[in-house]
Amino acid sequence: MLNVKKEFGHFQAVDHVTLNIEPNEFFTLLGPSGCGKTTLLRMMAGFETPTSGEILLDKRSIAGLLPNGRPINTVFQNYALFPHMTVAENIGFGLKMLGRRRNEIVPVVEEMLRLVRLEGAGERPVTKLSGGQQQRVALARALAPRPKVLLLDEPLSALDLKLRQSMQIELKRLQAETGITFVFVTHDQEEALTMSDRIAVMSKGRVLQVGSARDIYEHPADRFVAGFIGETNFLEGTIVEAKGRVARVRLKSGADVAAAMPEGLPTSGDVTIVVRPEHLQIAADKDAALCATVETVVYFGTDTHVHLRLKDGSPVIVRQQNRRDGTAPPDVGTEVGLSIPDGVAQVLKD
Amino acid sequence: MADVAAIRSPDIKKQSGFAFIAGSCIAVLYLPMLVVIAYSFNSANNLGAKWHGFTSNWYNVVLANTEFYDSTILSLIVAAAATLISTVLATAAALGTTRGRPWRGQGSAYLAITTPLVVPEIVTGISLLSLFAFLSTVTGIDLGIWKLILAHSAFCIPFAYLPIRARLEGMDTTLDNAAADLYATPWKTFRYVTMPLLVPGISSGAALAFIVSFDDFTITQLIAGPGETTLPLYIWGRIRRTLTPELNAMCTLLLLISLAFIVLSFILSHRRRA
Amino acid sequence: MAEIKDMQRLDDARRRFLTLPAVLFILAFAALPLLVVLAYSFMKPATYGGVEWQFSTEAYVGFLFQKDIFDDSLTFSSEYLLIFARTFLFGIATTVICLLIGFPTAYHMATRPPQTRNWWVLLITIPFWSNLLVRTIAVMFIIRDEGLINTILLSLGLVDQPVTMIFTDFAILLGLFYSFLPFMILPIYASLEKLDFRLVEASYDLYASRFQVLTRIIIPLTWPGIATGCLLVFIPSFGAYVTPLLLGGGRHLMIGDLIALQFGSSRNWPLGSAFSMILMAFVMLALFFQIRKNAGGVSHG
Repeated sequence: MLNVKKEFGHFQAVDHVTLNIEPNEFFTLLGPSGCGKTTLLRMMAGFETPTSGEILLDKRSIAGLLPNGRPINTVFQNYALFPHMTVAENIGFGLKMLGRRRNEIVPVVEEMLRLVRLEGAGERPVTKLSGGQQQRVALARALAPRPKVLLLDEPLSALDLKLRQSMQIELKRLQAETGITFVFVTHDQEEALTMSDRIAVMSKGRVLQVGSARDIYEHPADRFVAGFIGETNFLEGTIVEAKGRVARVRLKSGADVAAAMPEGLPTSGDVTIVVRPEHLQIAADKDAALCATVETVVYFGTDTHVHLRLKDGSPVIVRQQNRRDGTAPPDVGTEVGLSIPDGVAQVLKD
Repeated sequence: MADVAAIRSPDIKKQSGFAFIAGSCIAVLYLPMLVVIAYSFNSANNLGAKWHGFTSNWYNVVLANTEFYDSTILSLIVAAAATLISTVLATAAALGTTRGRPWRGQGSAYLAITTPLVVPEIVTGISLLSLFAFLSTVTGIDLGIWKLILAHSAFCIPFAYLPIRARLEGMDTTLDNAAADLYATPWKTFRYVTMPLLVPGISSGAALAFIVSFDDFTITQLIAGPGETTLPLYIWGRIRRTLTPELNAMCTLLLLISLAFIVLSFILSHRRRA
Repeated sequence: MAEIKDMQRLDDARRRFLTLPAVLFILAFAALPLLVVLAYSFMKPATYGGVEWQFSTEAYVGFLFQKDIFDDSLTFSSEYLLIFARTFLFGIATTVICLLIGFPTAYHMATRPPQTRNWWVLLITIPFWSNLLVRTIAVMFIIRDEGLINTILLSLGLVDQPVTMIFTDFAILLGLFYSFLPFMILPIYASLEKLDFRLVEASYDLYASRFQVLTRIIIPLTWPGIATGCLLVFIPSFGAYVTPLLLGGGRHLMIGDLIALQFGSSRNWPLGSAFSMILMAFVMLALFFQIRKNAGGVSHG
């Protein structure tokens, strides 16, 4: 349904981005602030004109249309609710502008209020609502005209943690119930992972990787993606042997590790491998090839982060789950061995 | 909590003596006006400070005074016309000089609009007198009370412009984006979003324009022709005659009319912005 | 690229078009008249008011010199110069007094809790916009020989003759101070209200005394408001007309009255125009001064 194809040189804010967003998909643009994700969103909405390239919706170009001509609605970061209107007037605004009659608008507004669980709040002024409620009104307002695409510009960033988590689930539910394509912009990787069908990771105006949450977390395309999504250990080494999709990498500290080998990478030379902290294990055997000194131990409730330093000076983090019967974390200053199970490490494109 | 803190540590904002000065300030500003109002109820028929007893009779005298009545009507007409003209022009100008990238020459336009604020009234007065004199010698046309209306409109524009502009600058432009996103055409965006939000600013500006026009004495005195006596001019003329508390009653009424508009403007501009 | 530029140009044109009427109106009824006055100042007076269309620098010469009625010789005359100097001094004195009283008041207002603060602002706003003529009449009532003060003093037996206050320089200064005090308070209040009082805490934390906090932190940071306040007091008191007329009794002239006189009974429009132009030059100078000081204040902050 939506086929966005763009080539831009818009102050390099968005640099030759080509994206294909499927119908009924929860699609997330994820990246640090200033990566161009909001600019991309604003171009879809029509607030920004692409320097070059085109935006296709249902195979038709919408680049020449003003925002009010596009069947696309936006949930703004600060909600942008009209302060002089009631909740119902806000929600019905789009339909009113489309020239619908009052008796058509009222039932839709009622339905939307039900959808966002604000039944009976229709006559309240929006300025009297809490942040979470304003958020829901903004959603209802954007959904009421039944757009083909709903754009969400960091809509949860102003909410506190608890509210944010419940709204994440709510958004996912709304998307499933309405079947509308959601394009969600965020800099919060956790938000992206929990809600999205697919995620596009952006940096410096470019899309680095598009894939499902699992894809991106477990098989990051490059160093930036690996570092941006979740916590990660980077280890330097040299490929000793490459066999199909598996390579044996000799780390600087001397240990050999079997690492997954993505396609299209050179099969020899210096590489960086990436290992997630929860995949590393602290071994009882101090004489293991990977030997490290414990520097800091941080207790997090569900798990404990152990910060270690390898012999060659590189830092490593290990995340241990806290179980009731679990072994106590090592003491600061002691030397421990580290083991990397097969299949958890991956060679990275630099 | 706050009280406990106040007892334990001295108020860091305090500067000694400032509260006393501020209190005296209010006293000094209001005392003379209150004296004028109080003596409008003095039953003496001269303006001495001796209190002869309470009467509201001077207000009957004022209200029966046709000259007072005529000059008040003229003042209201001039002020209403000047308010209308200046507010319409100021609203358009405020919309043209806010929101969006400044255009070339916008700085100069701003300077031009605020000129009347920095030119002393006496200079504005004699310069308008010269202009109208020049016009009537060249064309032979005397504009009558339109002289007053045009002059008042000109110096009221910045007073109307500034509150409207302030309101526009405080307004979130994403609201316009939101309206456009919800299928509103630029005109509908203006009609349903910008304009309703701007109304308090416009009303506040209009109220100020009205006060400034209604109260003007210096400029009006210089350019008004015979028979074009506004209320301040009439009061001025009365100072030169025998002074009775009737003058106080007139001053009180003039103050009350201004006060109504000041409070109106104040409430409109201080209403909590969303 | 072309498309964006076109849209921008369209928007610029639209906004220019919206601004134009107000600008033209002001040019016609505020700027153009000033040019007429400038032109008049270089002409000769007509006998019954107005001007004769003849170039002359007589008016400016007349500012400093007096023409002998019999032999047309010029002798230096300080009469007008003294009135200008007096006016200038009145303007400066009014500004200084208003600042000394106005700053503490504005400071007191800005340090009240928000709800009380609004009441204070309203209390200052009312006289700010109240009729200047009526307020001047009010001062007159108080300080007249038969006024409130003298009546009280006489009845208490403190004096046996009314103390002459009206029609003196003191009366004019009092009137100017009373008229323009709110013009000083409100701009200073506006910048004090925006002041981040955590900076005050920080400077106390770094061992500044109350006085040092005031002079090193608060005043430099609120300088734009102070400068605006000074300008708003200086310009109208320098060009004051009603106050000296009512309270100075026409004996203690200021420039404003001198100008009005030339356009009135003296029927010397070119001389009045020349005075106006000199007055405007002072105003421009004050404006320039303020803009420069303001720029300095910003670099301080």
